[in-house]
Amino acid sequence: MGVYAITGASSGIGAKTKELLLERGHEVINIDLKGGDICVNLASPEGRQEAIDKLHELHPEGLDGMICNAGVSGACGNLPLIISLNYFGTVAVAKGVYDLLKKKGGSCVVTVSNTISQGAGRKDIVDLLNNIGDEKRVLSLVSAMDETNLSVGNSLYVSTKYALARWVRRVASSWAANGVRINAVAPGNVHTAMTATMSTSAKMALNALPIPTKYGQECLMDPEEIAEVMVFLSSSAARGVNGNIMFVDGGTDALLNSEKVY
Amino acid sequence: MRPIEKYVEKMENKDFAGLAELFSADGVICDYCTNSASQREYHIYGKEAINMFFRNKFGFRQYSIAEAEVVNDTQAEFIANFGGYNIMAIATVRNVDEDGLITNLTVRPK
Repeated sequence: MGVYAITGASSGIGAKTKELLLERGHEVINIDLKGGDICVNLASPEGRQEAIDKLHELHPEGLDGMICNAGVSGACGNLPLIISLNYFGTVAVAKGVYDLLKKKGGSCVVTVSNTISQGAGRKDIVDLLNNIGDEKRVLSLVSAMDETNLSVGNSLYVSTKYALARWVRRVASSWAANGVRINAVAPGNVHTAMTATMSTSAKMALNALPIPTKYGQECLMDPEEIAEVMVFLSSSAARGVNGNIMFVDGGTDALLNSEKVY
Repeated sequence: MRPIEKYVEKMENKDFAGLAELFSADGVICDYCTNSASQREYHIYGKEAINMFFRNKFGFRQYSIAEAEVVNDTQAEFIANFGGYNIMAIATVRNVDEDGLITNLTVRPK
């Protein structure tokens, strides 16, 4: 059985993914701010390094899978956190354990979002993240933005997820040539503890992003629907899948972008 | 009311459910105006898809029409607003089935 590390597995999609991996007999290490096997703050460079060091210490023989799932929504009210955790927290951890994944021919799965195809991201922020990667400068830039404006938070959220998806595509070829596959999952709106308690207007907004497989049901995706795909992508059953941004949104992307085949 | 008039009415009222009911099960809307607004063309296949698609567009204020005028039995002109970008458009009901449901409707820049 394999050894898998996963970030953000104390709740939601991450918790369900961890549960499925454990059911299949794997060892799973949860890296999270609270309730993790390794408790660190992945929004900080120090926290990321601590997690990477700990994984090397625990499993110097290598990892079978690294699932980078930790992230916050655009409505979290903390713009720097969206940038630091969603983008830099993911890329740093994935790169930091690349050597461990190479040792076992492992794979990496990154959680993005189906909102990347809906045009709400900021291309300038995406380019700064992917092409410059200077966390301090990007944080300085976003700190001046209005964090009380939900659309600002949302556009930054989408930008980080778009940048992550592009980063996955950029590194997928060379990583695979070194025996490590990397893919991304782009979930639709998922039922979580947060969505269960949200306001009526927020629920209406969520329902305006229809999920074809839930047609007429007024409900969101189940975390298990996403987790099943993450487990598949991280398994050897997906050995031919690399550099893929897999939409797990019940068909929302197909609905809104039927002509986008590739 | 003719199908084109019903279409205009539903669009003006942002009635996505009523709009979908104007179409046959495999009815299609193709909107080519989006190219001018730097968006992907809208190609929507099936009445349920039409329901969900316009629920999304109306819900997020990404699509509306104004100043509509039915110009003949099958066509209407209006200003289409794509998230703030206005385009003079002409909608054409190209086919209707034996039950009077629209099977094919296109929207093009005028």
